[in-house]
Amino acid sequence: METFNHLFQGFAVAGTPTNLMIALAGCFLGTVIGLLPGLGPINGVAILLPIAFAMNLPPESALILLCAVYAGCEYGGRISAILINVPGDAGAVMTTMDGFPMARKGLAGPALSISAWSSFVGSMLATIGIVFFAPILSEWAIAFGPAEYFALMVLALSCLGGLVGDSLPKAAVACLLGLLMSCVGIDSNSGVYRFTFDILHLSDGIPFVVIVIGLFAVSELMLMLESHQAGAKPIALTGRMMFNFREWRLQNWATFRSSVVGFFIGVLPGAGATVASAMTYSMERRMAGKDHCFGDGDVRGVAAPEAANNASAYGSLIPMLTLGVPGSGTTAVMIGALTLYNINPGPTLFQDQPLIVWGLIASLFIANIMLLVMNIPMIRLFVKFLDMPNWLLVPLVAAVSLVGVYSVHSTSFDLVFGVLLGGIGYLLRVMNFPISPLILGFVLGDMMEQNLRRALSISNGELSVLFASPISIVLWVGAAAMLIGPRVFRALEERKLRNLGLLAAEDAHVEAG
Amino acid sequence: MVSERIFGFALLLLSVAGILIGWDLRAPVEYEPVGPRAFPLLLLTLLGVTAVVMIVSRPAPTKWAPPPVLRHVAALFVVMLVYAWLFDKLGFIVATALMTVPVARYFGGTWRQCVLGGIGLGVGQFFLFDKILDVALPTGLWLKPFLG
Repeated sequence: METFNHLFQGFAVAGTPTNLMIALAGCFLGTVIGLLPGLGPINGVAILLPIAFAMNLPPESALILLCAVYAGCEYGGRISAILINVPGDAGAVMTTMDGFPMARKGLAGPALSISAWSSFVGSMLATIGIVFFAPILSEWAIAFGPAEYFALMVLALSCLGGLVGDSLPKAAVACLLGLLMSCVGIDSNSGVYRFTFDILHLSDGIPFVVIVIGLFAVSELMLMLESHQAGAKPIALTGRMMFNFREWRLQNWATFRSSVVGFFIGVLPGAGATVASAMTYSMERRMAGKDHCFGDGDVRGVAAPEAANNASAYGSLIPMLTLGVPGSGTTAVMIGALTLYNINPGPTLFQDQPLIVWGLIASLFIANIMLLVMNIPMIRLFVKFLDMPNWLLVPLVAAVSLVGVYSVHSTSFDLVFGVLLGGIGYLLRVMNFPISPLILGFVLGDMMEQNLRRALSISNGELSVLFASPISIVLWVGAAAMLIGPRVFRALEERKLRNLGLLAAEDAHVEAG
Repeated sequence: MVSERIFGFALLLLSVAGILIGWDLRAPVEYEPVGPRAFPLLLLTLLGVTAVVMIVSRPAPTKWAPPPVLRHVAALFVVMLVYAWLFDKLGFIVATALMTVPVARYFGGTWRQCVLGGIGLGVGQFFLFDKILDVALPTGLWLKPFLG
């Protein structure tokens, strides 16, 4: 009952005219950012975060804006996936598998509307999931001491590091670079200047916004130049726009199942929308039995990954809100937003700042309804954005990014530093270093060090305190498993494939002989 | 293959240099068992170890873009750097207009589109951010009297 009281208060916060306008603007911008190939939720949130801060929005409004953008991106990513076979963001990769074939068959309208519907169902179920699970988890997490927290952060880093990128050393390097960057500046316990090289601008540490914009926005522009070619023409929207009853009934259960699976995958740190959509797509394909046309324009192949990627995007808000430990790059950026406002994310957030948390949750419900309206009746408006040429888009993004950096401290030092980091970010990304562990490391670094030092202060320097409680042992074991598990699994898969490949090659050889 | 090695050595260098600098990070008065240098030194050591792993292991080689594209990417980087440096010196409108012309050229705009786009982006965004959204942008000293 208490939960519903809080939720009502949340609706009062989210329902003020200003916050409704902000949610609407966020949904619109998010959908546009999501549908533009190359720009995803993390760039969108990164670029808008400093601007929201500079506009002096109160913290709850800023968070509502960022979450609406995040949600909008998950809706927008599918538009370019369906119409030009290029996913707007990583979560929409699976949507191209059946969305584009549907569009080529002249069913672009139904493909877009059914995916909007399944995105809506996925988001709504996940938001309800947040309402029920987040308070429970936050109450449970209050029992965490510094040693448990330290282990939890190691777990979060190793989950993300274990799952993304192609090699463990690269993911580890990314994590470590992020953690090291968080050490720059005055050490808050002793007042010692660390790695500032007598540069005054660095004494407060490297500004979060500079890192985020440099690594995500500036390097993205350079990557766009690399992949810039004559853009594919989007498939024209002709024929009926709405899905019919038969299509609706066909995807119903697929959407429901994928939403639930997607939500729980999202709650786990590390695994995000990309994993969720890939997993549910293959799950539905297997469950469909013989009677399907997956890969050739099956409605379920559009509905399942869309429901899953939206549900997991929302699910990943849970560890961020309840533990203060983000599980993905985008939520790490949002944590950065909270710290800009001097709000300490963590299990006490639900008690200290109930209006912010519940206002945010309520605004997710509102944003979903707005997004459904934008994405079914108003879809033609958004399709027009696919015609935006790169020669206009790239300078626009470049200028908006620097405006964001400038707005925080108004120094050109930050701007130049951000662009330099952008160059480093480009090199790292071209060499397949995953960037999201880096940003997660930077966000968690300070908290990690503080908790480690606190834990060791309590035990007077005895290291065994880190492994003393059952919770922390479970977390350490989990961290080790997440680091090694996915790679062992992948290696086994590869060996199986290679054996099959070898056999096939031998067969061919025998036949040829 | 080669670029990974070079990068691995760069990381190793970074970690050694970091350890040398970080060794002297001691608080004047130590009142807790773990001082300010332990955490960074731990990270730097781990970084050194991973760098060595990267150098000796054989990761998948990086696919670099063909040289003409790389030259464009480098040029874009320089343009962004100059833009960042001139941002508050020339003022937002002029700096953005100047940045747009070469960047739009790299992305296939015609000269006409570039110039018009540059002026449009500079002026349009200035009014959007500075006047409507209340995000203060630099005008550059010489534009001040015209914009009020």
